[in-house]
Amino acid sequence: MKHIIEEESKYVASAKAFRANVTRDLGNEELRSNFRGAMDYLMDKRKGAFSSEDELEVLREQCKLIKQRCLAKLPHLLEQLEGNLEKNGIKVHWAETITEANEIIAQLIAQKKGKSVVKGKSMVSEETALNDYLEERNVECLESDMGEYIVQLAKEHPSHIIMPAIHQNKKQVAKLFADNIDGFEYSTDVDTLIQQGREVLRNKFCQADVGISGVNFAVAETGTLCLVENEGNGRMCTTIPDLHIAITGIEKVIEHLADVPPLLSLLTRSATGQAISTYFNMISSPRKLGEKDGPEEVHLVLLDNGRSQAFADEELKQTLQCIRCGACMNHCPVYTRIGGHAYGTVYPGPIGKMISPHMLGLEATTNLPTASTLCGACGEVCPVKIPIPKILLRLRQESVKPKSQQPQVMKGQGAGRNNVEALIWKVWAQVHKSPTMYALSMWGLTRFRFLMPKKLGGWTSVRTAPKPAATTLHQRINAKQKKTQQSQQERG
Amino acid sequence: MTNTKADIKAVSNTARGNILAKLKAEVNGADYKKLPEEVSFNYPKFSREENLAQFISELEKNHAQVIKTTKENMAEVISEQLKVLNITKLLYGENDSHREVINALDSKVDLQAYDFSIDNNKEMLFNECPAALSTSRCSIAATGSIVLWPDENEPRSLTLVPPVHLVIVDANELHADFASLMTSQQWQDKLPTNVVLVSGPSKTADIQQTLAYGAHGPKALIVLLINI
Ligand code: SF4
Repeated sequence: MKHIIEEESKYVASAKAFRANVTRDLGNEELRSNFRGAMDYLMDKRKGAFSSEDELEVLREQCKLIKQRCLAKLPHLLEQLEGNLEKNGIKVHWAETITEANEIIAQLIAQKKGKSVVKGKSMVSEETALNDYLEERNVECLESDMGEYIVQLAKEHPSHIIMPAIHQNKKQVAKLFADNIDGFEYSTDVDTLIQQGREVLRNKFCQADVGISGVNFAVAETGTLCLVENEGNGRMCTTIPDLHIAITGIEKVIEHLADVPPLLSLLTRSATGQAISTYFNMISSPRKLGEKDGPEEVHLVLLDNGRSQAFADEELKQTLQCIRCGACMNHCPVYTRIGGHAYGTVYPGPIGKMISPHMLGLEATTNLPTASTLCGACGEVCPVKIPIPKILLRLRQESVKPKSQQPQVMKGQGAGRNNVEALIWKVWAQVHKSPTMYALSMWGLTRFRFLMPKKLGGWTSVRTAPKPAATTLHQRINAKQKKTQQSQQERG
Repeated sequence: MTNTKADIKAVSNTARGNILAKLKAEVNGADYKKLPEEVSFNYPKFSREENLAQFISELEKNHAQVIKTTKENMAEVISEQLKVLNITKLLYGENDSHREVINALDSKVDLQAYDFSIDNNKEMLFNECPAALSTSRCSIAATGSIVLWPDENEPRSLTLVPPVHLVIVDANELHADFASLMTSQQWQDKLPTNVVLVSGPSKTADIQQTLAYGAHGPKALIVLLINI
């Protein structure tokens, strides 16, 4: 457990380093052009994926309402899901923290004497830093999604939730393969690179004794785990090894099977502009008697890790509607410029800014909700209509509230509070409440404007300091009106 | 940690209790009848021909090869396709519905039935099976998707591991979209171990957004469309 606590603090530390990360990554031109190219591509794809504005808007409304219904019934649906999964032969485990989730998975593997794991794409297992945890216990853990595989070779983390290796271009990947894969002849041809990856990973699928995957939708009504993917590695991980462990956040449960088609349609189109992914994989049980393949055991780990905190607040609860499509990142001007790693959190971009404070607390993530221009693009494209800018504003408020103010909604409330700033705003509010004070302050400001300091912290790092005018707006308008009246009288 | 099993059970039980208690405290007394009415988009109705055209065009857009054929000609078509690909061996599921096709193929290619358990045969499945033939349950026009419904005769890995996947699709089983398909067949009542919707050969755009086929699953998907 010692290690995982270090892991947790590693995430905290990297989130805290946000400002330094931004400066580092903004200066990297190759990185910026990789992101710009990728985001332009993804935005274009999404735009072309909807037959009409009308269809898009109706679907968004529908999916928002579906997710809100499922959240309204969340505890009951989780129980129903558990009941139906167990009936189908899939074992369900619950974890409040990432350490618990990792420990459960490690022990499930140990019980089967598992030595090598192949993983399908799972952001939740990134969230728990599962690979490191298992490797500490001498279990080899190989990422099998091409993007994740590249990122793992580079000893990095995904920079995008849908396209993990988006920050690398093909030359960088070719170099990585040349350095890491025996017998690879350097080539920047993408087909060659993918075929090379395929060869390495096929051997691993054939030999691995455990497959780990995420879940896109967990259907309560039928006890079914649904996975969306293009490569087939998800099917490999959930079909070939003897033991399949799926891990997901508690918000991924949906009520009916009939909720799947609209959500799926909006997910793939928002993410990559595809009408549907190459594979949509629905798993409802382990291998049954007489079946010739499929895992003998299937487990699902349900993880909380701060989600129930968001659930407890009507406004912040909407964060849990997210279906992890990545559209908010693709359209975010900040993400496009600083890239996914600068955030220092597992989930980057607008979704990361909303969800990470619940996972890591506001102390570690004070800067994240402020790293937004509030341009509104994320909220406009979000397929489940999460009012992302509003939620970011709310998180900013939570982070500057007095530490002791009740009720405490967020872990780390008040972490961004600055007493001087708080005092300034308090005085400002008082002044604007009383006409006398307001007039007095205007009188002072216009006369003593020369006292305005030249340096005003962050504001003047790239701008000149503002200087109050010699007369107030009121005075100017009055003067102008007087002048007009006079000239009218003179003419009259 | 002597009894590891009890350990994670206890962890999980406590976590379960805590999580559910927290969530239930929030939804206590909620009136689910008051949830807003949900909307849905009215998709235009299409004729059989339009649906077929859409199905084929979506599949082809996704790099699948669609061949219109008949049950009678199918063996011929399959052996031609395999010849083009330089493949002499075909893995198939023992399924009565295409028994005649298999019989007719017998003299043309080296046939291998999937009549073994995967457990001791992974190496063979991965390294010695260049192509597989399977049936399908039905298909979806809107997205060009083929519904695979694996069972004892057609195991899950049959359509996943061999690099070429030939699949028989009956045009009489084409549905307009996923939603109407699930409702009409009442999937919610009984789902098998695994259902897969396949909409093309395996692919990835993970390296510099450049599309490449044959990531982990089949590199080629050949659709044998009958009863048009
Ligand atoms: S917040 Fe919305 S846009 Fe962003 S990943 Fe989640 S669902 Fe997609």
